[in-house]
Amino acid sequence: MPSTEQQSPLFTRIDWRDQSASLLDVRPRTAGLVLALAAVAVTFVYNHQVATTALVGTWDLRRMDWLLFVACILLVRYGVVPLVANWERSSGTVREFLRRPAGLLSLAWILGFAVLGLVGPELIGMPRVDFYADYQPPVFTTSHVTNIANVECVGPVTDAGCHGTWQYPLGTTSTGENVVNIVMYGAHIALKLSITAAMIMVVVATAVGTTAGYFGGWVDDVLMRYVDFQQTIPAIVVYIIVATMYLGKGLFTLALVFGLLNWGGIARLVRSETLERRESGYVRAARSAGASDLHVLRRHIIPNSAATVITAATRQIPLLILAQVLLAYLNLSDVRLRSLGEILNRALPPLGVGWWVVASITVFLVGTVLAFNVFGDTARDVLDPKEVA
Amino acid sequence: MTDDPLLAVRDLKKHYPVRSGLLRRVTGQVKAVDGISFEVREGETVGLVGESGCGKSTTATSVLRLEEPTAGDVYFEGDDITAYDDDEQKRFRRRAQMVFQDPNSAFDPRMTVGESVAEPLAIHGLRDDDRQAEIVSDILERVGLSADDADRYPHEFSGGQKQRIALARALILNPDLLVADEPVSALDVSVQAEILSLLDDLQSELGLSMLLISHDLGVVREVCDRVGVMYLGEMVEVAPTEELFANPQHPYTEALLASIPEPDPRSRGEAVELTGDVPDPSNPPSGCSFHTRCPRVVPPEDFEFPDGSFRQVLDFRLAAENGDVDTDALAGDTALREEFGLPSSLPDPDAESVLAAAISDAASGDVEAAADRLADAFPTVCERTDPELVDTEAGHPAACHLHDAASEHAPPELTNPQD
Repeated sequence: MPSTEQQSPLFTRIDWRDQSASLLDVRPRTAGLVLALAAVAVTFVYNHQVATTALVGTWDLRRMDWLLFVACILLVRYGVVPLVANWERSSGTVREFLRRPAGLLSLAWILGFAVLGLVGPELIGMPRVDFYADYQPPVFTTSHVTNIANVECVGPVTDAGCHGTWQYPLGTTSTGENVVNIVMYGAHIALKLSITAAMIMVVVATAVGTTAGYFGGWVDDVLMRYVDFQQTIPAIVVYIIVATMYLGKGLFTLALVFGLLNWGGIARLVRSETLERRESGYVRAARSAGASDLHVLRRHIIPNSAATVITAATRQIPLLILAQVLLAYLNLSDVRLRSLGEILNRALPPLGVGWWVVASITVFLVGTVLAFNVFGDTARDVLDPKEVA
Repeated sequence: MTDDPLLAVRDLKKHYPVRSGLLRRVTGQVKAVDGISFEVREGETVGLVGESGCGKSTTATSVLRLEEPTAGDVYFEGDDITAYDDDEQKRFRRRAQMVFQDPNSAFDPRMTVGESVAEPLAIHGLRDDDRQAEIVSDILERVGLSADDADRYPHEFSGGQKQRIALARALILNPDLLVADEPVSALDVSVQAEILSLLDDLQSELGLSMLLISHDLGVVREVCDRVGVMYLGEMVEVAPTEELFANPQHPYTEALLASIPEPDPRSRGEAVELTGDVPDPSNPPSGCSFHTRCPRVVPPEDFEFPDGSFRQVLDFRLAAENGDVDTDALAGDTALREEFGLPSSLPDPDAESVLAAAISDAASGDVEAAADRLADAFPTVCERTDPELVDTEAGHPAACHLHDAASEHAPPELTNPQD
């Protein structure tokens, strides 16, 4: 007999015939994601078919920018939206995070890095070659740069040498580029690269890891053997081949190659998380209530792997930034000749007089790498519910 | 409405393939559930008991088709659930729910209790938040929690409270059948009693039918109307609870009943101990699968064995077959007899001569010959044929050769081998 006839008066009645789930029943965030991706696709087609030069004013979009747009949309949908939509819950996590000094410092550095990278180059412009202002030391320091032929000091000159000025707070290179602008632009490149490559890695690793762990059997075997195989291929070698022969030595190639070849470790972690959660009581309860695989994956498996994925991705980001600097130093990555690596290669002043260029770049890189690592550690501590409980 | 029981299980089997080697070839079968049948009627609570590994939980998941049964039929109100299509399956999921053993892993740590409890509603298409909240607060109060608890997280609750919440989640779809897999065995004894009485109350209020799975006969006695006893994937006895406790018909049931601790300290020491280990379900013993441990194993008809002594002889033989007789450490006939609890001589001279020969074989190091000699001389019906689940004189069915019409010899009295 149907369950509706047998209810005690105390029990809530539900008429299931009214509750048919329809395909149109999508959440606004899903609709937003689809719309945003569609908008990017339409603009992309428009840009390639109709307005083939600059899209708006002088803003000429390159393929890296398209990749970045897609990555940013995914970041907003799966990072920012859940954080804001469940603010009641996530505020607790954020507070917990900010209560830790290491977390606060690393977050501040990353935010500063992101803001500088995003708006810095637009606000203060690209580094410019200026032979009337080469070898200028940073403010508050002095250097005997005037001993070098054709070098004139912008600031006052005393017995101690040339004094740095506020015009060039971090000094200039041997071709007179302002180091502040260089670091800003370095942050810009690093930001673009890390968002894009990290999103590629996160998406692929989560998809592969959860599929392998959840469905098991030959799916698991095939995917994980592929990961084994992929991990034997050094991304840097593939990058050199692809960049010099096919796609060019730009950020696009770097993000694509490193993003598509470095997700193996994350996928492995996600898989083991999934294996553990697949047998957990809440997954079995959801299944016995009639949940589909998709529901279980979306509601339970993937959200619970978030901590692992975030931690692992923040470990990959500094490696990417360093790899880019290294490749640029070796002339294997061209970013309009303004990457940190190229500056190190091209504009390094003679020993003893240009220490500030190396120092600024090193401090920036060390700070950023450290910040991402500390951020990842703290995020894991805070997000891991086992430790909170 | 029909006269069909709410749930009828017919000859249910669930075998898991054992794969080994590089090519993952199937090299064997673990017969987790091997042909069991039972019924759950409207408003009735049926218990399934047995040791761990006897297939109780597999039965539960197969009955709900959370795992596809290997063979057999499960009828829900007369409809075969293994033939359900997707829509019917979804409707069935609303009407049959499950509660799991460990309440500590039963909730997604990222979801509030309210969200967890409301999840089945969302799965079945009720997505209106206000309506969900209303139903959730109603059901939380029904299981003895407060409506405000919906906004808290699982780790803020104790084990007993979590099991209440798990019950709320299982009952929120207002099912007709609840399968509870060891619902209280992860809880403190005092909390166990609370949850069991809650189950009892809810069941009578809601007219719920329940399949309760437990290794603990004490729990079963508390709530069940009828009990099925399982051993190694087979049902060995089914009886109304009172009758099972008063008049057990299967030696395994007797042993389980004897294992319930008596609160009276003076009545200690009457426990029937089972000898040997639970056999491997991938390689179950021939005949009655309980014969390797049965304290009342049927002796061969041609010989006279005093109380329970055939058990020791059989233990010795099985140990010899498995190579568990350490002839180096146990030099000499007397040492062997002592180790296996064999009497210094059997009263039946024919039996004694066979046993003595076997022991001297073993003592001289030829354990295999000893095993063969005993197997040839002392065949037992328990080893040869698998007993059917048939009605006994007590009025309920049990699967044991002691109740065979053919076995005319008096069953040996149940005594403690150490006596």
